[in-house]
Amino acid sequence: MFLAPQMNQLSIQNLHVSIAEQEIIRGLSLAVPKGEVHAIMGPNGSGKSTLAKVLAGHPDYKVVSGKIEMDGENIMELEPDERSRKGLFLAFQYPSEIPGVTIANFLRAAVQARLPEGDELEATEYYAKLYEKMDLLEMDRSFTSRSVNEGFSGGEKKRNEILQLAMLQPKYAVLDETDSGLDIDALKVVAHGVNSMRGPDIGILVITHYQRLLEYIVPDHVHVMVQGRIVRSGGKGLALELEEKGYESYETAAEEVGEPAVA
Amino acid sequence: MTNQIAVLDETMEETESPPASHAILSSPFEPRSADLPAWFRDQQKTAWTKFDAAPYPNRKDQAWRFSNVSALEFSNYNFGTRLNQAERAEILDRSLGLDEVAGRLIFADDQLLRRDPLSQKLLAAGVILKPLERAIIEHEDLFRRHFMAQAATLGSAKFAALHEAFVMSGTFVYVPKGVEVELPIEIFHWLHAENASVFPHTLLIADELAKVTVIEHFRSAHSDRAGFACGVNDLVVGRGAKLNYVCTQDWNEKALAIQINSTSVERDASALSLNVHLGGAYSRFEGLSRLRGEGARSDMLAVCVADNAQEFDARTLQDHLSPRTTSDLLYKNALNDRARCTFGGLIRVEPHAHFTDAYQTVRNLLLSDDSEANSMPGLEILADNVKCSHGATSGQISEDEMFYLLSRGIPVPVAKQLLVSGFLNEVVDRLDHSAITQLVHEMIEAKFQRRR
Amino acid sequence: MAKEPSALEVERNVGNFAYPETHKHDAGIGLTEKTIHYISDIKEDPDWVREFRLNAYKTFMSKPMPTHWASKDLEAIVFDNIRYYLSGGTQPKRSWEDVPDDVKRTFERLGIPEQERKFLAGVEAQFDSEAVYSNIKKAVGEQGVIFVGSREGLKDHPEIFRKWFGKVIPTGDNKFSALNSAVFSGGSFIYVPPGVKVKHPLQAYFRINAENFGQFERTLIICDEGSELTYMEGCTAPKFNTATLHSAVVELVALKGAKLQYITVQNWSSNVFNLVTKRGLAHEDAEVKWIDCNIGSRLTMKYPGVIMKGRRARGEVLSIALAGDGQHQDTGAKMVHAADETTSNIISKSISIGEGRATYRGLVQIPKHLKNCKNNTECDALLINSTSRTDTYPAITVRGTGNSVQHEASVSQVSAEQIFYMQQRGLTEAQAMSLSVNGFVNDLVRQFPMEYSVELKRLIELEMEGSVG
Repeated sequence: MFLAPQMNQLSIQNLHVSIAEQEIIRGLSLAVPKGEVHAIMGPNGSGKSTLAKVLAGHPDYKVVSGKIEMDGENIMELEPDERSRKGLFLAFQYPSEIPGVTIANFLRAAVQARLPEGDELEATEYYAKLYEKMDLLEMDRSFTSRSVNEGFSGGEKKRNEILQLAMLQPKYAVLDETDSGLDIDALKVVAHGVNSMRGPDIGILVITHYQRLLEYIVPDHVHVMVQGRIVRSGGKGLALELEEKGYESYETAAEEVGEPAVA
Repeated sequence: MTNQIAVLDETMEETESPPASHAILSSPFEPRSADLPAWFRDQQKTAWTKFDAAPYPNRKDQAWRFSNVSALEFSNYNFGTRLNQAERAEILDRSLGLDEVAGRLIFADDQLLRRDPLSQKLLAAGVILKPLERAIIEHEDLFRRHFMAQAATLGSAKFAALHEAFVMSGTFVYVPKGVEVELPIEIFHWLHAENASVFPHTLLIADELAKVTVIEHFRSAHSDRAGFACGVNDLVVGRGAKLNYVCTQDWNEKALAIQINSTSVERDASALSLNVHLGGAYSRFEGLSRLRGEGARSDMLAVCVADNAQEFDARTLQDHLSPRTTSDLLYKNALNDRARCTFGGLIRVEPHAHFTDAYQTVRNLLLSDDSEANSMPGLEILADNVKCSHGATSGQISEDEMFYLLSRGIPVPVAKQLLVSGFLNEVVDRLDHSAITQLVHEMIEAKFQRRR
Repeated sequence: MAKEPSALEVERNVGNFAYPETHKHDAGIGLTEKTIHYISDIKEDPDWVREFRLNAYKTFMSKPMPTHWASKDLEAIVFDNIRYYLSGGTQPKRSWEDVPDDVKRTFERLGIPEQERKFLAGVEAQFDSEAVYSNIKKAVGEQGVIFVGSREGLKDHPEIFRKWFGKVIPTGDNKFSALNSAVFSGGSFIYVPPGVKVKHPLQAYFRINAENFGQFERTLIICDEGSELTYMEGCTAPKFNTATLHSAVVELVALKGAKLQYITVQNWSSNVFNLVTKRGLAHEDAEVKWIDCNIGSRLTMKYPGVIMKGRRARGEVLSIALAGDGQHQDTGAKMVHAADETTSNIISKSISIGEGRATYRGLVQIPKHLKNCKNNTECDALLINSTSRTDTYPAITVRGTGNSVQHEASVSQVSAEQIFYMQQRGLTEAQAMSLSVNGFVNDLVRQFPMEYSVELKRLIELEMEGSVG
């Protein structure tokens, strides 16, 4: 069946976002088709993490104008949980701790929430899948009985995020600074988990400050975000260029660019 | 203004008219000092009426639960008489506190015996340290604005009224904006005559970004004379200012003492108080800390060493009125013989005082079979996004720790004392002022020595 | 996952109903000596009970409301508007077939499946003031266990009943224990003979069905030496327009080495004043444990207590309170240590939602000369939404060098970030809230019997659904 390109991508068009009267995203456009991995790189304060939260529908941010569509459907009016159930996943930079709620119960509730009303989750299947994904991420089984993110090391938190990604199998995944707080061993494990998810059914947007992560999760496209806009897009080579030259040249450029670059 | 103060603040031995000696509760009411302004004497009359009308505390009141309310009997006390030269000299000789101070006032039976003035530099900077009765006249505005501005809500409204009716002296401190007073200001209040009563008052205002440390000592000149102290302190900590307040309460074991302190802490300011409770037959302390401005912080510390039949009764309120305020209370009591301690404390987080951190910890160390500790820690949380906790423990010296010390050849009483000191030091050492912590350690030590 | 059989699998959201009332006996509204005589006459009280009631009435009248420390909301109770006795005139029944049809309908509406009723060891339900049916498993009777209504208890077993009745909680303990002592009707009397270990929990279910009717059941349970019993009670009330009063008294006695566990899951509608006095007496090596879950009601005041009278006695209170909009859960625990080596444990968790208010009041007493007594208290409060309120007021007295107490309390809240995180995983706001709340109580609920933990989770979910959005 033929699908129009917008029917098969996460697309952001001319997005303006502010928090407490201050504009943080200032006319950003981007499209992440299924089957591709896009990376957004940018300096601190460029609005990268804001973009991640806005996509997921965080209530603190106000979308002033623009459009966010998933497979052609406008998702801007949807609650965060509705967006999630429609297939949007955000791996948080700082995942919340949820005392008393075990990972197993939490994930089961999330998986159950995706089933049609009245359907009961098949427990054995669920656990089989959970353990398979945990093995992939080199996670100990005892992990499931720990409270979500409570007392986790940085690496454990990020692994837990990727475990949830693997279990919920979204259509689009946004990974917000997933490499922060990871040592090199943990980084490899996490990247391995993400790479195993890659395929024609998922579009992935990796948000990062450093090029390091992109050595392990090799993107198809790289975008440079500065002061709330995409100022340049290119192939994976762009990441290396940024690593060498830094963002400085773009920061002045961002001031001058009237119309944002389009990906 | 500074010049005028400089003139007033020369070193001098006060020789004001002596107070008459008569029973404090004898009516009709007469203001104690004719030197106070008429408006203030009127205020005192009103206060007396309030005192007279208010009922005596009842143990059924939550504020007096576990308290030995029968101790609150005032009919025997009088106002003392004028001290003679020899008595004054003796008390002055014994008024040993810190070696280095910014200024010092020494009172006995509510009579100012001596005043060590501030340095010219501080006077020039506008710092004021003077007897309260002069501040009433010379700084009427400041005085009226802050004197007992905060109602005594922790049970002793009646005794606050009594204090107001009879207060005739005390200390007034004002530190202007941005001025830091490095050395502590020291105040002594002595009980001297048989059945004497005193009504100490300290009114302190630290203006914006000011910094000051005050230490008060409450002492008895004679170990065998009964006495009554009913004090009130108003401590006002302005924006971004920092106050350290220390009180060593070492009345003799026949004294009856009520002390009502209120501290108000403005935006970004911090107040730390350390109360050392050693003396008194029955000693009640009420401490209110109001965190009025965003970012305000209050540390409320106390240690208590109680023995024989002493009773210590502490009531506190950490009142959070603004967001992002912090309070941390740590009280430790070591109890011996038949001593009793009661702690009733409340953390109150008012609506909208979000992102508040408030902590309250009370630890009782019971050293004898007849000692008793009552703890009533409390929380009233009316806001969200708060982190509050309280803990209260009562226990005894750990056998393991004791054994460890004994195994090193330390005799039982010494080992016990070491462990008790260690228990209390955690509190005292939170005060970042070595001369004062040293002094407090010595006073605690002295109390242990008295037991031997 | 297979569903656990639950004794109280109740459709709470359909609980707001009332059947037409046909009461043969009605004491009318208001309380006078005449009311007491009316109740005594109908119940054919022995003289000593009539005397007891009349004395209690005098005590009730003379005692002031405890508003000097408790909520002023108590003043909203108009004692003159309350009915103190209603009865359908039916005698306690032993078999399901004998239960009147309309009462059966009540149980159906409450959603208790038939096979579960059969599964139960015994059910005694209080429909208004009378125990209308008792379905006691034969085995319990064969073991010599007495499980009857309080009225039968005092008539048929006076030798045991009188010995303990009113001894654990004296009439004058508080205004509401006095009220109960004056007008009590219904409730259970249980006696477990020495050494008998009752395998299945005994159950009772209370429901207020008449508007303006106060429910004053009186329960007395005695576990003789070395015996064991778990008793469960559940309470609901349909929503009426005016306030309703529930004021029960429960006395437990665990003799030497006995173990007695009393479980309550209560879900009153939000206009009920629930003012209950519960206390247990634990003799040497005995254990009394209260598990108390308070959901609903306008004002609940309940502080289950244990007096540890014999050496090595143990007392425990595990409680969960959930205060929704317009509700005030004023709960806590009392632990009185009266012998050496006694230990007590209090764990209290409260959740305040919206304008709900949760208060913890505790009393721990370890008087002088006792050795090796220990108390541990933990109270944790969770706040949801900015107008909710939580208070904690423990009072702890310890004397002597041989004892130790430990009290800790904390307050935390469900943060917006936490909810967003869970929503991002596809859970609705209500589901996220309920998961957080269940997480908060989880470590405590794990100590409950299985069927109760399932029931409680369901109740919390229901409550959270109503409180979001």
